[in-house]
Amino acid sequence: MLLSFERLGWWKWVLVAITGLVTAFLLLPILFIAALSFGSSQWLIFPPPSWTLKWYREFFADPRWLESAWTSLQIAALVTLFSVGIGLCASFALVRGKFRGRETLKAFFLTPMILPVVVLAVALYAFFLRLGLNGTVTGFVLAHLVVALPFSVLAITNALEGFDKSIEDAAVLCGASPLEAKFRVTLPAIGHGLFSAAIFSFLTSWDEVVLAIFMASPTLQTLPVRIWTTLRQDLTPVIASASTLLVLLTILLMLLVALVRKGFKS
Amino acid sequence: MTAPYLHIRGIRKDYGSVTAVENVDLEIRRGEFMTFLGPSGSGKSTTLYILAGFQDPTAGDILLEGKSLLQTPSHLRQIGMVFQRYTLFPHLTVAENIGFPLKVRRKGRAEIDAKVRDMLRLVRLEGFEDRKPADMSGGQQQRVALARALAYDPPVLLMDEPLSALDKKLREEIQVEIRRIHQETEVTILYVTHDQEEALRLSDRIAVFSKGVIDQVGTGPELYANPATRFVAEFIGDSDFLTCSVLSSDGRTADVRLGSDFVVPGVPVHGGGGGRSAGALLLRPERISLHRHQPAEAGTLPVTVGGLTFLGSNVHVAATTGWGEPVAVRLPFGHGAIEGLSRGDTVWLGFDPRATHVFC
Ligand SMILES: Nc1ncnc2c1ncn2[C@@H]1O[C@H](COP(=O)(O)OP(=O)(O)O)[C@@H](O)[C@H]1O
Ligand SMILES: [Mg+2]
Repeated sequence: MLLSFERLGWWKWVLVAITGLVTAFLLLPILFIAALSFGSSQWLIFPPPSWTLKWYREFFADPRWLESAWTSLQIAALVTLFSVGIGLCASFALVRGKFRGRETLKAFFLTPMILPVVVLAVALYAFFLRLGLNGTVTGFVLAHLVVALPFSVLAITNALEGFDKSIEDAAVLCGASPLEAKFRVTLPAIGHGLFSAAIFSFLTSWDEVVLAIFMASPTLQTLPVRIWTTLRQDLTPVIASASTLLVLLTILLMLLVALVRKGFKS
Repeated sequence: MTAPYLHIRGIRKDYGSVTAVENVDLEIRRGEFMTFLGPSGSGKSTTLYILAGFQDPTAGDILLEGKSLLQTPSHLRQIGMVFQRYTLFPHLTVAENIGFPLKVRRKGRAEIDAKVRDMLRLVRLEGFEDRKPADMSGGQQQRVALARALAYDPPVLLMDEPLSALDKKLREEIQVEIRRIHQETEVTILYVTHDQEEALRLSDRIAVFSKGVIDQVGTGPELYANPATRFVAEFIGDSDFLTCSVLSSDGRTADVRLGSDFVVPGVPVHGGGGGRSAGALLLRPERISLHRHQPAEAGTLPVTVGGLTFLGSNVHVAATTGWGEPVAVRLPFGHGAIEGLSRGDTVWLGFDPRATHVFC
């Protein structure tokens, strides 16, 4: 390699330092919150005077927290299901289809990634108001689907582009109908793409807050919305526990991704 | 004559304004090994894909034992195929890959296992049952692909340049295997290649493709000894062409003149009408005799030696005619006529007019 890490001399240590700083910058707030969630101080004093599980007990004792966690899970699960399903169909059209404007259509599918979420949220809010979808699970799922779908389309089109269509043709000549060939051969072969699509769709919905604030009603709130509204009313360390739990699930899912990726490779 | 087993009848395929193949007519016997030989882009794969049902022809028909295949979708045609690219199912083991066609036909477990074992023996890959495609070499993958394509005893097997990604030595090894498997299974094979040596080695008959049409169909020796077009002559075996003018022609043989005064009488003629016209005289380097002194009998062509190339068992002599056209002679190593031969020497070339051809 032209630019070998070993031969960089003292530059090596500069790189190590920068990497360390960036990692710290990204991780410290999360560690800080996690530490506070175990601290005994009502006023979130740092460093905590002593350690306790009190705030977690309070979290699990309060039906409103549990309810919003459950709502979040439900919505994220539905978003994942639809996002992967629709993303799969769209990807087949975008990769295999031969029609004019295919590239434009693909770019269009990705626009929610660059559109400011607030703009999207206001537009959807106004639109859903007419349809009576605000404050419903359907409204939540549709709104989150808009931001989750680009991740699915991206992950699945990538996987499908890397899959040689001849392999599917071979399955058809082996006697499988075109649909059977897709289910038995193509889908398993692009499994890593479907898996990435599912995880990213889930996470997009799971910790999304801007759209959720617009979609929420007093009776239907996701966990991030509950954290947000609680934060505005009173500052309690339960928020720190809720945040920590939120992050914990995210980390677990990312670990799963890493493990499965390794599995797909070997 | 009985009806052919597989009949490709007047196939034409247009992609927009591009005609990929036209007038493809072939009658293939049961158990025959037929090769489509031609350069890249000549329409070999297109023809094969029409047989497989991946493309619909613009015109023409495909008949298997007298019945048209065109209305039958690919997966019901019972045709086996080995592709140019590696197409094993990446998530399945070797055994599962070979058993796949039987599994989609809802065969029982015991039958599948027995067949997989047979097929692995056929392609000499016993013990590879549990390997994944990614852990095998290209040659092994293509052999598994062959086993998979043969697992349900298809009447016709299509192979689209299955060895083109392999190196020469491995290619020759697998050619021998394919030949043996063809003899053992008696399956009818349509094989595509751009490699004349591969075609000659494997085939019962060869169809030579050029720019979307079949120039000639025949056994290797037929194509070599009696090429119908200049293209076929160029594609099969080594060849040199000398420009000549046709002095007279009766449609079968012609008298031609090389240079200003060297006349070759009675040369088989292909194409063109009667009368005077320009043509190209085909000479095969290994069918020319080389004389150091002008022989007594007439009909030898004086040329100037340009250089010698040692090619193992053969020596290649490059020479130039009096009017400046290149011509080559190939002689076995150690042949008396080349001893002490050097650049600039004049030698005389002798050839049998009946073994040459003129194309006009
Ligand atoms: N899907 C297609 N769309 C347009 N043109 C094609 C397509 N497939 C093949 N062709 C054209 O048809 C001709 C024959 O191609 P092909 O049958 O693949 O040749 P070969 O297999 O002999 O190399 C080529 O000129 C190629 O460009
Ligand atoms: Mg081809």
